[in-house]
Amino acid sequence: MKRSHRERIRSNDRIARWVISAGGITVIASVVLILLLIVREALPLFSPAEVRAERTLVAPLPAAEVRALLTDDYLESAVLVAADGSFTFLRLPDGTVLGRAGDTALSAAHGAVVAAEVVQGRRCQLLWQDGTITLHDVTFRTEYAADNQRRVVPAVTRQGSAPPPPDSIGRQWAQTRLGADGRMTRVDLGNDGRLHITQVATKTNFLGEETRDVSDFILDKNPQGPITALTLDGAGTTLYAGTADGFLLRWSLAETGQAELLDQVDAFVDQRRITTLSLVFGDLSLAVGDAQGGLTTWFAARGADGGQRLHLIHRLAGREGAIDAIVPSQHDKSLLSVGANGHLALKHMTSERDILTVDGGGRIVAVARSGQGDGIVALNEQGQLRLWQIDLGHPEVSWSTLFERVWYESYDEPALVWQSSAATDDFEPKMSLVPLIFGTLKGTFYAMIFAVPLAILGAIYTSQFARGPARDLIKPAVEVMAALPSVVIGFLAALWLAPLVEASLGAVFLSVLLLPAMLLLALLLWQGVRRHRLLRQVERGYEFLAVVPVLLLGFALATVAGPLLEGWFFAGDLKGWLYAEWGMRYDPRNCIIIAFALGFAVIPIIFTIAEDALSNVPNSLKAASLALGASRWQTVWRVMLPSASPGIFAGIMIGFGRAVGETMIVLMATGNTPILDWSIFNGMRSLSANIAVEIPEAPAGGTLFRVLFLSAVILFLITFVVNTVAEIIRQRLRRKYGRF
Amino acid sequence: MKRYWRLGEPWVWLSGAALTATLLAAATLLVVIMVNGLGVFWPGAEARLTLKDGSKIFGEVVQRGEKPDGGERLQLSTGNRDLYGLDFRWIDSADVALIDYPGDALIVERTEYGNFHGFLRQLNGSAAVTSEQLHLELNQLRQARSVVADLEEEMNELSGASESNRLKIRKREFAGKRDAADYQLLQQRQNELDRQFQQVQGRHSEAIADLRTSVAVFADAAGTTREVTLADIVRVYAPNAMSLPAKVGHYLSKIWELLSDEPRESNTEGGLFPAIFGTVMLIFLMSAFSFPVGVLAGIYLREYARDGFFVRLVRIAVNNLAGIPSIVYGIFGLGFFVYGIGGGIDRFFFPESLPTPTFGTGGILWASLTLALLTVPVVIVATEEALGAIPGDIRAGSLALGATKLQTLMRILLPMASPGIMTGFILAMARAAGEVAPLMITGVVKLAPSLPLDGSFPFLHLDRKFMHLGFHIYDIGFQSPNVEAAKPMVYVTTLLLVLIVLVMNSIAIRLRNRMKKRYSYGTF
Repeated sequence: MKRSHRERIRSNDRIARWVISAGGITVIASVVLILLLIVREALPLFSPAEVRAERTLVAPLPAAEVRALLTDDYLESAVLVAADGSFTFLRLPDGTVLGRAGDTALSAAHGAVVAAEVVQGRRCQLLWQDGTITLHDVTFRTEYAADNQRRVVPAVTRQGSAPPPPDSIGRQWAQTRLGADGRMTRVDLGNDGRLHITQVATKTNFLGEETRDVSDFILDKNPQGPITALTLDGAGTTLYAGTADGFLLRWSLAETGQAELLDQVDAFVDQRRITTLSLVFGDLSLAVGDAQGGLTTWFAARGADGGQRLHLIHRLAGREGAIDAIVPSQHDKSLLSVGANGHLALKHMTSERDILTVDGGGRIVAVARSGQGDGIVALNEQGQLRLWQIDLGHPEVSWSTLFERVWYESYDEPALVWQSSAATDDFEPKMSLVPLIFGTLKGTFYAMIFAVPLAILGAIYTSQFARGPARDLIKPAVEVMAALPSVVIGFLAALWLAPLVEASLGAVFLSVLLLPAMLLLALLLWQGVRRHRLLRQVERGYEFLAVVPVLLLGFALATVAGPLLEGWFFAGDLKGWLYAEWGMRYDPRNCIIIAFALGFAVIPIIFTIAEDALSNVPNSLKAASLALGASRWQTVWRVMLPSASPGIFAGIMIGFGRAVGETMIVLMATGNTPILDWSIFNGMRSLSANIAVEIPEAPAGGTLFRVLFLSAVILFLITFVVNTVAEIIRQRLRRKYGRF
Repeated sequence: MKRYWRLGEPWVWLSGAALTATLLAAATLLVVIMVNGLGVFWPGAEARLTLKDGSKIFGEVVQRGEKPDGGERLQLSTGNRDLYGLDFRWIDSADVALIDYPGDALIVERTEYGNFHGFLRQLNGSAAVTSEQLHLELNQLRQARSVVADLEEEMNELSGASESNRLKIRKREFAGKRDAADYQLLQQRQNELDRQFQQVQGRHSEAIADLRTSVAVFADAAGTTREVTLADIVRVYAPNAMSLPAKVGHYLSKIWELLSDEPRESNTEGGLFPAIFGTVMLIFLMSAFSFPVGVLAGIYLREYARDGFFVRLVRIAVNNLAGIPSIVYGIFGLGFFVYGIGGGIDRFFFPESLPTPTFGTGGILWASLTLALLTVPVVIVATEEALGAIPGDIRAGSLALGATKLQTLMRILLPMASPGIMTGFILAMARAAGEVAPLMITGVVKLAPSLPLDGSFPFLHLDRKFMHLGFHIYDIGFQSPNVEAAKPMVYVTTLLLVLIVLVMNSIAIRLRNRMKKRYSYGTF
């Protein structure tokens, strides 16, 4: 052989070694990467919020002159409301004054603006010296200039005004609301501590004439001490008040001309002063700030006595001292609390997460949040305008919202709920993974109850008793079963089996009893017949064929007798009886179907591994046992099964892993309702089906998207642990018997 | 008797019964699929029911069932959705006065509103017609239809060319090269293409108008008439007058339609060709990614890696991968391939078509890569086991004769292990064919406008979405507005998918058995 040729072969070999090793290691490394990448997508859920950019400007007006502050969706412009009722438009973040708007006639008629309040981020209500309230809507229009530059142009339109109530004698506080039905509600807290309520209903009759229906009345001074905080909901139908002694009061103003006191709650044991009230986005929850720096949310829920009472729902801890004001988001359920010490704390109601605290650099005069919720602009008493751009992260998710009971709005008690979206914007997303994990385990549990006994008994029979050509056919038959696509099994379960089971529920239950009974009967008969030599051949590994007619007969009998029995005992309606007697509702796609379908998918896996384990027990053990006079079942039960038990256990584990992750069957054969109920007559929603259902609707990078990744991580971990344990057991077993 | 129990014989019978129950369940499943799937295309007898109140209904008796209050009822497949609003109807047997099977009853398959069951009344205005004339007329239409199809293809090509030209122009504009030499040329070409398109479109609408001039009038059993444009008719047959060979012919032609045609009526009628094509192409792409990698890793693990803790760890990892739920792979594919790599490709190579994503959305490339990841463990394990089953003497013998490791591998081990590796390949392909969950989030759609492989440059469009048999089952069985009418099609699709998977698995099992025999005698 030529030397060069030999060299080439050798170098080829070296290259191949490198390529193959590198390739192999890459494959394995990329495998590990999968988990890391899924975790990476889910991890930002728990990362804290960060200030992306911060800036301090000098306000164009002295702080004492400013009554309110507004900003747009993206913190690109701001509007300052001055004491003379004028609006100053600023461009952010540089603070250039874009313009000024205002009606000098207003200030001439009403004096100066005493207080201003921003409602729902866009509506500004000005309370003038003479008690008049004027409403102004601020809009931010986006324009594109010729050079494709985005520009936000603020504008103000006046919406209406409410004159002061006739008999008022100075006021501490006043608010007005325009309801959707054209009703205007105005509430004044007089200097005498009494509440003056004015309601103006404007109606247009069929001739187009407007009639104004004014009713005003005064609520008597309430016995719970002086009112220190008030708020009205957006429609002007519910009035909330907090007192200096820590009482919360709630009135309904829905009926014109009267206020119905719905609640008076002694909210705080230590009688702390309630400093500010605000309604959380959606107007269902009331946020309460107090002098001790506590921020709590409340809403009316059904109590023990059956009545709707205000309940303490969330307690949002903070370190910002006495709370001066609360600014709700117009986008989600987060709240910005303004502390007397100049700290601004961003908190989320549902998750009770303390998102972020920033320092306003002095007492805050006015504050506004951008519509997207990720920008804050605040004016402090030194006349500094501070801006913060914030990476919010995913404040609505925390460990407790994912895994613990949360008291959601309009629920009567804390609950574990998965409901990721709804038709309205102000919906509180409910992302508890517990119902999904529960559903996964429930489906798996029922499937395993069905599959494990059948698969293991079948494996025992195939490996220990079956003989000859029959045995050579059973294994491929089971393998073919394993190859059936799950979408096929799911489709048949949902569209063929489910209606069948629903129509003959009685027969299904009866066959559970009847099949073993028939088997027993057949065995008794067999005692008589087995004396014949020819028939005894059956006992040489063909029992499973002899059983076919017995099972078929049992099944036929159940089909015939089921409806009859149902007619006699349950008035022909087993489902109705179940509901009436046991309160169990029957869903057509329920866990009976899942047990069959998922069990069917899992049986071949457990069967194959268990059969392998049993066949691999050295034959010498079996021979020794039989030689000592044990019967074939005794040999199997006392010798073979214990030896093979780790392998069988591994098979069960792997089957469990498969059932946990199965998607299509669960997706198709259950109703996919995320409920917490062990009943076999209703469905569930599993983690895997939930991913398949929700991911097409989840925007990439959003909270739902990441929560779904988190559920994939959970699925991964469950199957990972289960499979690893199974694999370690199997490898031990292999080494024990020296082969596989 | 007592002894019989003590020996545990009943337990043996119980285990036998468990096995039987399992096998019976599997057999039932297959039988249900076969019975429901195979019978769909067989032309059933078309019954005319005259009810006691004198009204007449026409339809095929699909099933007989029991009424909730006893007594028998019949389910009729009546068709004529445009007349009745429903495809099926339950009739109380007690109400039926007479059932007959008129020979001239026709079933008209239409492109819209499902089948029409009834009689031919008029053809192009003349009342005295036979169904032969109708068939003749339909045959003549075929010629005109192919002209329309050609025109449509031309339009497709032109619009494709125009779109790619438009993107080129945008690319120049993006790069700020409006004054480049070819920019004007491209603009001219764009105008030219648009002009050509308009021309062809004009010819196309003329041809369509031409096609739609012939009309036939049909009447249902009650005498209500319906005018049907001949161009909308797919097929007409008279089931009651058909002889057995004619029925067989009809059956075969329906199967041919199934395999070669596009779906109609929101996938509940017509063919499955795009879905079959998508499935096959997906499997091929998946194989191209997964097989080399899997075999490489398998060889590394068995032949090159030093046995020890690390290799044990890796084996556990690989076996673990095989057990990870497919939906987890799917969501990984979405996060990593589609949004990660796909989004990156879009930003770098296709900025001119953003925000419409090219690769940054589900497509056949990402779906097949996801499936490849899913099937790699199967191939690794199969390769490893096939190599491991070769006796060590053979390796030693080859090395002793002076062969290098690579030579031993290429000339001795791989050929010997090939049946085992093949088994792994086929099992992986079967798994890929049946897997749906990961595809649902990485690019499968209910109706893809074009195949991922076609005649327009660059021929293979890896970014396109595709159809898939498994998803087809889920989609038409669960998402279609008329599940009852879709059922036959679901069964047919199921049958097809099961056949594909079972054939693949049988080949794998056969191969493995042959390999086992070869090794157990060990005479090489």
